[in-house]
This record gives sequence, C-alpha cells and structure tokens, in this order.
Amino acid sequence: MSAPFTGPDEVRDRFAEHDYLADRGLATSVHLGTRLGMPLLLEGEPGVGKTEAAKVLAASLDRPLVRLQCYEGLTAAEALYDWNHAKQLLAIRVAEARGDRLEEADLFAEEYLQERPILRCVRSTDGPPPVLLIDEIDRADDEFEALLLEFLGEQAVTVPELGTFRAAEPPVVVLTSNRSRDLHDALRRRCLYHWLEFPDPLRMVEIVRRRVPGADEPLVAAAVDFVGGVRGLDVDKPPGLAEAVNWVAALSVLGVGELVREDVAATLGALAKTPDDHEVVTAALDDLLAGSSPG
Amino acid sequence: MSLLAGADRAAFVTGLGSRLRAAGVPVDLTSTVAFTAALDVGFPRDVESLYWAARVTLVHRHEHHPTFDAVFDAVFRDTVLATDPQARRAARGGDTSSTGDTWARAAGRPAGDVEGDGLPWATLPRVTAGGSSDDEDDVTLPEPLPSAAAALADTPLEELDDARLAVLESWLQRTVDRWPTRRSRRRRPHKQGTHVALRDTLAASRRTGWETTRLRYRRPERRPRPVTVLVDVSRSMQPYAVAYLHLLRVLARTGRCETFVFSTELTRLTPALVHHSAQEARERAEAATADRFGGTHLAGSLRALRRSRWGDGLRGGVLVLASDGWDSDPPEELAAELARLRRRAHRILWLNPRAAAPGFEPRVGSMAAALPYCDAFLPAHSPDALVDVVAALVDD
Repeated sequence: MSAPFTGPDEVRDRFAEHDYLADRGLATSVHLGTRLGMPLLLEGEPGVGKTEAAKVLAASLDRPLVRLQCYEGLTAAEALYDWNHAKQLLAIRVAEARGDRLEEADLFAEEYLQERPILRCVRSTDGPPPVLLIDEIDRADDEFEALLLEFLGEQAVTVPELGTFRAAEPPVVVLTSNRSRDLHDALRRRCLYHWLEFPDPLRMVEIVRRRVPGADEPLVAAAVDFVGGVRGLDVDKPPGLAEAVNWVAALSVLGVGELVREDVAATLGALAKTPDDHEVVTAALDDLLAGSSPG
Repeated sequence: MSLLAGADRAAFVTGLGSRLRAAGVPVDLTSTVAFTAALDVGFPRDVESLYWAARVTLVHRHEHHPTFDAVFDAVFRDTVLATDPQARRAARGGDTSSTGDTWARAAGRPAGDVEGDGLPWATLPRVTAGGSSDDEDDVTLPEPLPSAAAALADTPLEELDDARLAVLESWLQRTVDRWPTRRSRRRRPHKQGTHVALRDTLAASRRTGWETTRLRYRRPERRPRPVTVLVDVSRSMQPYAVAYLHLLRVLARTGRCETFVFSTELTRLTPALVHHSAQEARERAEAATADRFGGTHLAGSLRALRRSRWGDGLRGGVLVLASDGWDSDPPEELAAELARLRRRAHRILWLNPRAAAPGFEPRVGSMAAALPYCDAFLPAHSPDALVDVVAALVDD
C-alpha cells in the first residue's frame, strides 16, 4: 500500500505516473480529500476525465476501486445493504419443521445481511480501505442523495436491526456529476467541490499523447486543433477529452500519419455522436482541415 | 516560512467566510471547519495554494466561482485580474457588473424594502364607501372569488388590468395541482402493485409468527415530467406579455418548471419569478429581460436553449412555446431546430394568442413550418384559454 499524498505536488506526480495530468485544483482537492477524510465531488462537462480521476486515484494509492454506477430507481437495497429474503424464508420454514421458536434477532442477523458497495466499503477490514466511486450521482433520483448523507458525513451506515457500522479507516470517496440536474445543498456541503475545466490545447496535446502512445506527434497536434474547431461549431454534443482520445486512437490504428479528408470522414463517428452533429461537422470539414493543417 | 505566519486561523477563516457570504456565496459552518482543517494539513506557502484550498472547501457550486474569485482577489491579490479560466470567461462575456453588484448589494441591504406603504400590484383595490366612478363592479370585490374569476373568463388578455391579473394568477394557481407525469423505475408499496415486495412481506409476517399469510406488492411510482416554457416578449406580443408573466410565475413556483422569455435573445426567469412576493418577482423579471419588446429570434433562442445547461432538462419533458410566429430567422432554421427538440421532448405545445381570431390560419412562414412538430396548437388569448393550457400540459 502506498502512503497517502504529502501535498498537491505529489498528487500531480503520482497521477502523472498513471498518465493522468491533474490540474492544480484537482491535485489540491485530492490531497485535502485524502487527508481530511472528506468525499470529493467532481463536476464538469462529459468526457473531461471525472471517472478517470477516481480510477487513477485508486491506482496511485494502490487500493481497490469500488464503483457504484447510479441510475434512476437506485435504492438502499442496491447501494447500501439488503436482507437475504430467500434465506430468511427458508430459515422460517426450517424452524417451523423443527418446532423452534424464532425471534426477530435470529432472522435479522449478520448471516442474512447482504453487503452492497457502500456497506462493503465501510466494513472492509482486510487491507487498506477501498476508493469508492459513486459515478454520475445526478442520474439517481434525489431521494437517493438523502440516503448517502449519513455515509458521506460520518462514514457510517446504520442498519436499524443491527446497529451502526462505522468505518475503521474512512474510505476515499469520489462522487461525479454531469449536472443533468442540480444536486442538493446538503450533499454538496459534505463534500470538497471541484469543477474540472476543459483543458487548454497544449495540455490536451500532452494528455492525448500520453493516452495514445503510438500516435505521431504532428497527428496529435493537428487532431487537437481539429477537435477545438469542432467544439466551436454548433453541435449538440461538443466532443470532450474522451472523444478526442478515442478519435486519435482510431486514426492511429488506421495508420494515419496526417489528417486527410477521407480518413477524417471515415472516423468521424468517434467525434460526432448524433446524425445532426455528423452533418454539421461534414459541412465544415474543409474549413476545419484548413485550420488544423500544420504550417 | 509560511504565508500569514502567526495569524489566528479561526478568525482568518471566519473573516473570509463572512466576506464571501456578504458577496453572495453561501458559506456554511461545515465548509468553514473544513477550510480550517485544510489549513492544518499543510499550511499554504503561496497565494495560489491558499486559493485552491479555499476554493475546494468553501465553494460548492460552479456558479459561485466567479464571485469567489472576485472576493479572493480583492482580499489577497489586490487586483481585479482573475486567474481562473471560469472567472476570466465570465469577465470576458461582459459580466463585469456581477462583482460590482455584489458589493453594492452588500453595502446597501435594505434597498429592496423602501416602499413598504404602497400596495403590492397583485392585491385588489379596497372597497371604499364612496366608490370612485372609474371602478367597475367586479373589480371592487374584496376577494378573488370564483365568481370574480368567472367574470373575466372570456376577457381578452390584453384588456386585463393589474387587479384582474391577480385574480387570474390565483385562479391559475388552483389548476396546477395536476402535472404531467411519467412512469419511473422506482417502486412504491401499493395494494394493486405488480411486483412482490419481499422485504415488506417479511416485515408483515412478523405479526403472524413469521407465517407469510399475505403477499405485499410494489408498483412503479409516477414522477413529474420537467416542463420548459418559452414566452415571446417581442413587440408583436407586447399586449400579452404581462398576462403570460403571471402564467410563468405560477408554473415556476411549482419547482418543476423552467421558464424563459425571449425576444432577440433568451433570458431565464425562473430564479426571478419564484420570489414569494409577486411584485418583487415582476420587478426582477423585468429587470432581467434586457431586450423586451424588441425583434424576434425564435430559432436562435431555441438553439440557445438547447445548447444551454437547461437543454438536457427537455429530455422526456414538455416544451411549451408561446409566440405569434413572427420570426426574423428563416423558417427552415426554426423547422430544423424544432425537429431536434421534437426528438428530445415528450410533447411540444404551441400557444398563439392570435389563433382565436375568427378566420385565423397559420400562414406566417415560421408558424406553418413549426406546426408539423407540435403536438398541440392552442389559442391562449383569454384567462379561460390559459387554464386550458395548464390542463393540456397533463393530457398525455
């Protein structure tokens, strides 16, 4: 197990070892989050590296990553804990057959408790506490946010029948949100908040180069320019960092050395994700290529 | 040698916190404690580290970053040049007034309440024994009774005075208790449910000595759909603007509706309209709308809505457009825009106050281009028609 970070600079260095270039704000919030034991709330436009940051954090701390993908209808039974109802029903039948008298404590005991990601993080005893990623919290209903409050504030989960489980060593928690709806203030209050900016072209070149090691230098620069041009167009979904990385990877798989119209048109599916966007980008292709050609 | 050596941390943090609060960033006690703890972890050696430590602990919303930057700069950098890209963008967009505003607001707090003696515009005129000659009978009713509302049911909107508009608002208020809903993935216990709820069944069987005599069920819950309303406040729609503002306020105050007005550009009114005082809401809305009674950019405003962060709120929701269809953008652009929105929204309603006129035909280019994408086309020219509009929201 690696020790937690000694400062924001070390966060940047250790993230960079895993090919993630953290900006100053992210490095500070990760450092403070791990030292103060506070959850980290990352917001930013899609494809800017929020989920990736959590994965890299787990890797650089050498801890397991527990991921909870949020979706509508997510409840305590999927996120915190559930009772093994089938086993309980069986126990009732067995007790009946033996003529035993069943108490409530017999049925709601630890052996019938099913741990879900959050309780698993709290109760994990072997090795260092895991990194818990609660991904796209804005996709869950707002009731679910309320479920998280006890855990985020006190690193504890209460099972009414059994009592409160408290983490011996608080897990590192990262929440991400795409702002498809506003999160409640009570949730924000318990977290360190960082807004991930879309990187400037220079940093973006550096990131793409690290993510796609096989790509040619001039190709990466031209592609980043091109993506910048597409982001300036009237598109439904401006391509994010993830799309840019995928696109350069696609180009380099095809063995493309420089941006040519045919190759760009063939791989546009990695950048433009709706027919409307595809149309808009195709229409502006010549201008974009002229703008991003080297020299 | 660390920055601010020998400073009382608690006093320092509290001071910065109250300064931020005065500027409009809600800094609570938890964040203040977190910031103090952050200073303990490793005391910042330069202003830059102090900036980030303060920002990630004290600010919890992206919207507050520019204000935070302004306050931080004023305190620690003694300069107006912001380093954060977000703040720079805001400053470049001509939003320089926001910082000036916050200081002004902090300085002169009681500015809002000076005219406490005047009646709010929404209250009805009191009945006076003498009865001035220009008051009509129905206007002098002391309360917005149903009869008062019924009396103005068919009055054209442009003929309503403030008092009658207040009656209209309270009348509309009663119609929004029904709201469009959709089936959600969350389930609730229900007698006529479709899924066996094991947890509830087991809990209930406790009473019968753990013998499961009756099964409990759950069924999917219904959730309110998001509603987005856009109202045209260009010159041609001027007579209806105030009445529509009342409709917007009623909808905005449900908390499930985003409200916008547009003329040459799009303005979001929801935060202004939800104010509990009707007069204050109206003043704020009017102050927010810079381009009132100008030209119309319908297609451009729809595009601005789709690309804004509220564009995602349209998914699976109801989109209501109130406009007479006089648009200075080409009709093809409007058609293309509505085609995109059609794929995103559950329903699109179009309100046109002129549609009730005898012999009306949607012959304006934009109106004709838009109609194929609308699920309903409603005349919204009278209070009665506005109530129908609210009812039409629910019609699935």
